[in-house]
Amino acid sequence: MKKPGLIQTTAGDDLQQDPLPAYTNRLSRRDSLKLLAALAASTLLPALPGCEPVPTATKTGNATGTEHWPELKLPAIDAKGYGKDPNLIMPPEAPWPLTLTAAQLTMLAQLADIVVPAEGNSPSASQVQVPSVVDEWVSAPYPSQQRDRLTILSALAWIDDEAKLRFDSPFTALTAIEQLAIVDDIAYDNENTPLQFQRIAKAFARLRNLVLAAYFCTPEGIKDIGYLGNVPIAGAYPGPTAEAYAHLDNTLAQLGLTEFAYPVA
Amino acid sequence: MDDFSYEVLIVGSGAGGAMAAYELTRQGHKVLLLEAGRNYDPKTETPMFRPNSAAPLMGASTPDKDFGFYDSTVNGGWQVPGEPYTKAEGSDFLWWRARMLGGRTNHWGRYSLRFSEHDFKGKSRDGLGADWPFEYNDIAPWYDKTEALIGVCGTNTGLDDMPPSGEGILQPPPTPRVPELLIAAAAKKHGITAVPMHRAVLTKPLDSRAACFYATPCGHGCSIGAAFQTTTSLLPMAQATGNLRFITDAMVKTVTVDSSGKVTGISYIDKKTATEQQLNARVIILAASACESARILLNSKTTSHPNGLANSSGQVGRNLMDSTGAGLSALVPALMNRPRYNEDGHTANHLFIPWWGHKAQANKELDFPRGYHFELGGRFSEPGAYVGGNLQGYGPALKQQVRANYGAYVSFALRGEMLPNEHCYMDIDPDVKDKWGIPVARFHWQWSEHELKQVAHGLKTAKAILETMGAEVGELPTAEEAIKKGGEIIHEVGTTRMGSSSADSVTNQWGQTWDCPNLFVMDGGVFASNPHKNCTLTIMTLAMRNSAWLAEQLKAGKL
Repeated sequence: MKKPGLIQTTAGDDLQQDPLPAYTNRLSRRDSLKLLAALAASTLLPALPGCEPVPTATKTGNATGTEHWPELKLPAIDAKGYGKDPNLIMPPEAPWPLTLTAAQLTMLAQLADIVVPAEGNSPSASQVQVPSVVDEWVSAPYPSQQRDRLTILSALAWIDDEAKLRFDSPFTALTAIEQLAIVDDIAYDNENTPLQFQRIAKAFARLRNLVLAAYFCTPEGIKDIGYLGNVPIAGAYPGPTAEAYAHLDNTLAQLGLTEFAYPVA
Repeated sequence: MDDFSYEVLIVGSGAGGAMAAYELTRQGHKVLLLEAGRNYDPKTETPMFRPNSAAPLMGASTPDKDFGFYDSTVNGGWQVPGEPYTKAEGSDFLWWRARMLGGRTNHWGRYSLRFSEHDFKGKSRDGLGADWPFEYNDIAPWYDKTEALIGVCGTNTGLDDMPPSGEGILQPPPTPRVPELLIAAAAKKHGITAVPMHRAVLTKPLDSRAACFYATPCGHGCSIGAAFQTTTSLLPMAQATGNLRFITDAMVKTVTVDSSGKVTGISYIDKKTATEQQLNARVIILAASACESARILLNSKTTSHPNGLANSSGQVGRNLMDSTGAGLSALVPALMNRPRYNEDGHTANHLFIPWWGHKAQANKELDFPRGYHFELGGRFSEPGAYVGGNLQGYGPALKQQVRANYGAYVSFALRGEMLPNEHCYMDIDPDVKDKWGIPVARFHWQWSEHELKQVAHGLKTAKAILETMGAEVGELPTAEEAIKKGGEIIHEVGTTRMGSSSADSVTNQWGQTWDCPNLFVMDGGVFASNPHKNCTLTIMTLAMRNSAWLAEQLKAGKL
C-alpha cells in the first residue's frame, strides 16, 4: 500500500543521491484526514523507514564547536488571510499559497517522524500529514506565523548545515543514527545545553511544539491523547466516571484534602 | 418601511436591543431595529462539531479571528476593518465589536450572575464611584423574568455574593469535573467556597430551544439554541409577533433633532450602498453597546446640544469601566495521567469561586474596596494549535510527556470590579473618521491603585490554592504585569450612566435620558458601577424592565 502523501523521488532530485521517500503535499490535508480515517479502519499503516528502534550507534560524527546560525533573508509573505467572515462550515481548503520547497518538506517529514514516530497503533507525524500543517502554518500571512516561519526555516537550515559540517551530507541523506546524533544535541534545552546549541534548541522546540500540536489534532492523535469529547450527549451531562472519581478521591487523600471535598451527589 | 408604522426605533440587536424589541413587540408595540452588521443565522452558520484539524492553522487565533477560527464573531474582534478607534497617548485599550445580527451575544461566555444590593450600593458603603438609582428588590422580579426567559442553569447557593433566584427559575447545573472538584477542595481549606456557575445555557429544553448536548464550544455559537444568543431566541420571538422589522448593515451615525432640540429620528449609513439615510421615530432606544451608543450621542452635536446629545451633565463617555482581569495557571502533578472521560460539559465553568470577602472588607481587613471572582480552567479539552508544558526530547518519551500533562493544567481567571476614575473615559477623536465618514471613538485609560491591589490579592490567593493542590507556582508577576488591558475582558460599561440626578448622570433609572424624554439607552452604558459579575444578564434585565416601563408610557400617551 502506498503511504498517503509519500512518493518516490525521481532521478535528478538535487537533494539526495538515493531515491529516498520524499514528502509532498499530494492530497489536501483535510482530504487526507478523511482518507486516513478510512484506512485506519481497515489496515495498519506501516512505519516510516528510519524510525524503527535504532540499534547501537556506530557513527555520531563530531558536533560542531561553534555557532553557525543561518541569517535567512526570507521574502515577505504577501498573501491575504482568510478574512473576518470566512465560511465556518466549509473552511477554506487552501487559504493561502504554500511556500515550503520539496526539499524542505522532505526534511520536515523526517524530523517530524523523529519527534512523533509511529508507535503501537498510532501513526507517525508524516502519515497524518503533519508536514502539510506545518507548511500551511509557516506560509500563513499573520504576524505570529511569520515569526514562526523564520524560526522554523532557520532551524531546518541550521540542521542541514550541521549535517554537512558533521557528516558532509545533507540531513535527509544521513542514516537514522547520524540524524539522531544531531537531534540528540538540539532536542534538550536546559542548564546543561552547550552554548552552541542553545539557539537551535529553542528553534527546534518551536518546531517540535508545532509538530506535536498538528499530530494531536488529527483523529489519530485525538485517540492517542484520549480526548473523548465532541460527541452529543442525550440527557444530563454524566460527569466523571467511577474510575475518575476514584482517582480524585485518592488524590484528595494524598493532598490531605479529603475533609474539604466538594459534596458530589 | 413605508408600509410599516413603527413607534420605537432600536439601534443594536445584541443583549439590550433584542430584549427591548422582545418586550415592546410582546406588548403590541411596533418596532424597527437597526443593526450595523450583516444578517446572521446560527442555525445554518454555526460550525457544530467541527474539529480543529479541519480549520486553517488548527483553529488558532489570528488577527482575522482573534478568538480562533470558529469563534462566531463576524467582521469584528479587536479591530473592525475600516472602522478604527484610537487611544490617547499613554493609554491602552481594546474594544471588541461584532458586526452581525445578535452582536456579541453570539459568542459571549454566557456567565449570568445577579448583582446584589451590596453591588448596587457600593458608594453608600465605601464612598467610591456611584450608587444605582434603585434597590435590589426593585429589580429582583425582573431578574427572575429574564432568567426564566433566557434559561439559566445554576443553583441558589445562599452565599452573600449570590442573591437567590425565585423558586424553580434556575435549571439544574451540570455535574462538576475532576479538576474543578480538586480546586474546590483546596479552596475550601482556605475557607473559600466553590459553587456551580450560573450560565445562560439550557440543561432542559425551553420554548423551541433544545437542551445542551454537551459538545461544541459555546463561543462558536449554538445552532440548537441551548446556549443563549438573541438570534435563536429574543429576535425570532419578537419577529413572530409580527411587530418587528429589522434592517441590517445599517450603521447609525447620529440621532437627529429638530430646531427646538427635540429628538426626531436617526441618520444612518446603509453599508450596502454606502449612502446616508434618514428615519424618523417617536421614540429611540440606543443599544449599540456602551461605547458605540456614547459615540453616537457625542457625534450628535448640534447648537441645541453643543456637548453632544443628552450630555448636559458632561457624563457621556465618562465613567468607562471594564472588569479587571488576570490569570494564573500551573501544572498540578496530582492530575497527571489521570483517567480519561468526556470533560466537555457545557464547555465552560461548571464550578467557579464567587467573591468571599464581604466580611473581611467590612472589617477593613483588605486594602482594596471591591470584590472579584475566579473562573476555573482545566479539563480534557479538544487538542488545538498549541501544546503546553516544558517539553524535552523526542519520540515515544516526548509523546508520553504530552499525554501525562493533558488535563493536568488548571487556571484561575480573576474577574473583578473596577471603580470609575477620571482617567478612564472615551471621547471623539478630532482627526480620525471611519470609512463611513463617522468620527471615531478615542479611549483614555489608567488603572487605579484599587484595581492593582485587588489583582495582587487575587494572584496571592490563587497561588495559595494552587500550592495546596501540590502545584509549583514560582514567583508571581506584579499586579501591573498581570492585569489585562482596559477593554480586554469585554465588559466595558458606564459611558451613559444612570443616576438619581441629571447633574451627574445621563439617564434616569429607566434608561430615559434626562435631556431628551423620547431617547433611551438600554445597553451597558447605563451601568452606574461595574460589579465583578459579567454584565450581560443585568443589561438584559434592565432592558426588559425599562422597556416595560417605556411601554406603559406609550400606552398612557406620555411619549
